[in-house]
Amino acid sequence: MAKEVKITQSDLYAARIFFYAAIPLLKVICESEPKFGDKFIGKNFVFQISALYDKAEGGKFATHFVVEDGKWTTHVGAIHEKPDVEFEFSDLKKFIIFFTGKGMPLPKIKGILKLGILVPVLMALLRMAGLMQAKDKPEKFEDQIMLCKLYLYLIPNGMSQLNKLGHPDVKAVTGISPDRAYALIIEGYPELQSWIRMKAGKTMSGRGEYKRCKPFLAMKFKNPSLALDILMSKADMVQYIREENLFVDGAPEFGGTVGNLMFTVAYYALGTYLDEEK
Amino acid sequence: MAGGITFTAVDSTKLATAEIFGRTIAELGAENPNIVCISPDLATSTKMADFLAKYPERFYNVGIAEQNMIGIAAGMAKSGLIPFASCFSVFASLRALDQVHTDVCYQNVNVKIIGTHGGTSFGQAGSTHHAIEDIGVIRPLVNMTVIVPADGIETANAVKAAAATPGPFYIRINRGFDNVVYSTPDYGFKVGKAVVMNEGTDLTIIACGSCVYQAMQAASMLKHDQGLSIRVLNMHTIKPIDREAVLAAVKETRKIITVEDHTVIGGLGSAVAEVVVEGGKACAFRKLGLQDKWSAIGLHEDLLAMHEIDAEGIVKNVLEVMKMDFEADEDWGDEV
Repeated sequence: MAKEVKITQSDLYAARIFFYAAIPLLKVICESEPKFGDKFIGKNFVFQISALYDKAEGGKFATHFVVEDGKWTTHVGAIHEKPDVEFEFSDLKKFIIFFTGKGMPLPKIKGILKLGILVPVLMALLRMAGLMQAKDKPEKFEDQIMLCKLYLYLIPNGMSQLNKLGHPDVKAVTGISPDRAYALIIEGYPELQSWIRMKAGKTMSGRGEYKRCKPFLAMKFKNPSLALDILMSKADMVQYIREENLFVDGAPEFGGTVGNLMFTVAYYALGTYLDEEK
Repeated sequence: MAGGITFTAVDSTKLATAEIFGRTIAELGAENPNIVCISPDLATSTKMADFLAKYPERFYNVGIAEQNMIGIAAGMAKSGLIPFASCFSVFASLRALDQVHTDVCYQNVNVKIIGTHGGTSFGQAGSTHHAIEDIGVIRPLVNMTVIVPADGIETANAVKAAAATPGPFYIRINRGFDNVVYSTPDYGFKVGKAVVMNEGTDLTIIACGSCVYQAMQAASMLKHDQGLSIRVLNMHTIKPIDREAVLAAVKETRKIITVEDHTVIGGLGSAVAEVVVEGGKACAFRKLGLQDKWSAIGLHEDLLAMHEIDAEGIVKNVLEVMKMDFEADEDWGDEV
């Protein structure tokens, strides 16, 4: 009889971030970097990542991509019954350990013989993992831009996912919020922007410029390299504000609130809670 | 003191707004011999006594006849003078409307009308002396510039700008003392350009006249009690209105409340609403002012409270508008 795996609430938060906010970044890699994206031109397939969890509807959590002639469509939190290629983890914990980089519990690969799909998918996944699990910022400027994009797209979405799953610390902020947006901006790079909108407990996140109104607070980084210093916790935010490497536009008194939400996302996405559980 | 104004913010706490107008016009009289003053036997009430004392030969009392005052002013302007005609706002705008329309605006002559006792500021005098429709009546007149200053110092700036700018002006000021909004005249007053009194992103309050001070008080209370970020615009010029500031408020805050000591029909709120609608972008919107009803008789501050255009009334309305949904409730999905 298989050993029962205890899934905690923290695991569920982490899984939500990965399935709804992190795994979808695979599409961003393929759309942003032709050397990965071009390999899917002329191909049509469904790729799915899943983790078995008996309390989930359908018996597992999953996110899948439908690729049609190189164009990616993401279906978060949705199970596809007949994917062409699927990475299926035998339990949620292994899935989280794999994606936090805390270990290498390999998934069962369905469609392993479809090498024309599997190989380029694996390459794109490794590219994403290589960037996001790096301890230091990349040296190449184009890699810095790509990593900034991944972080910026992940963080507000991660906050929104935690809110939607009812994380108490996040709910405490969003529940009392008027209709407001918080934006992350790297100046001079229109694609390096993202935001989260909050309104009375509801949230939504997006990429690019927030156009509905002026963000209540915007954290504006001077350039990608300096942004990564903060996003990778390599520099002190207050000092960077003082040195004008980071400009908080709007309501600076809420900078701490945003910072705390970012740390909460990181707490689950980096698997810090797993270390504390040991 | 920049701009040649010889009084200060300290003085403005001791002087009624009309007295500041009186001092300003007397100072301008020294600079420009073409400036003349006309009054329908109201020199004391409209505080033109300084000018009268200094330049009696350039002061004309036409008797209790506002229509004559405006007609005479138009003729003087035609002859190259710069007449400042001052009387109660309610009479300048309603009783003398035909003369303002035909003699001043149609001729596009250089007449400056100073309407005193604006809004409900002459509260004790009763509804016949409340000027609650004057902006709505005067604003549509072609060629007319309409200014409602926030306090004494802004009144001085408006009068100076009017003297320096050809064409008809209607400047509406209050009876008695206004709360001091500006401590210096050097804050960048420009006809047709709103002044951002407070930056904010949650909601914009657009106010004019004495309501600017109330709006600033409200914004402060809302920040400290509710954590709200409220933009306050002093829309001193009702016409030509600062379209850019209004459209920025729509785009950046998506919620607007206008506040005026005037009926909500035809005044500042209507002017702002016209811009909003033409802008084509939706926002939550509410007009504060007299809600199509006569005011009671009483002290100005009590009437401001009665019509919810004092700080507490504005706070109450802001909190209500913050809860207004004007958009379809989106699916709140996340972009992936």
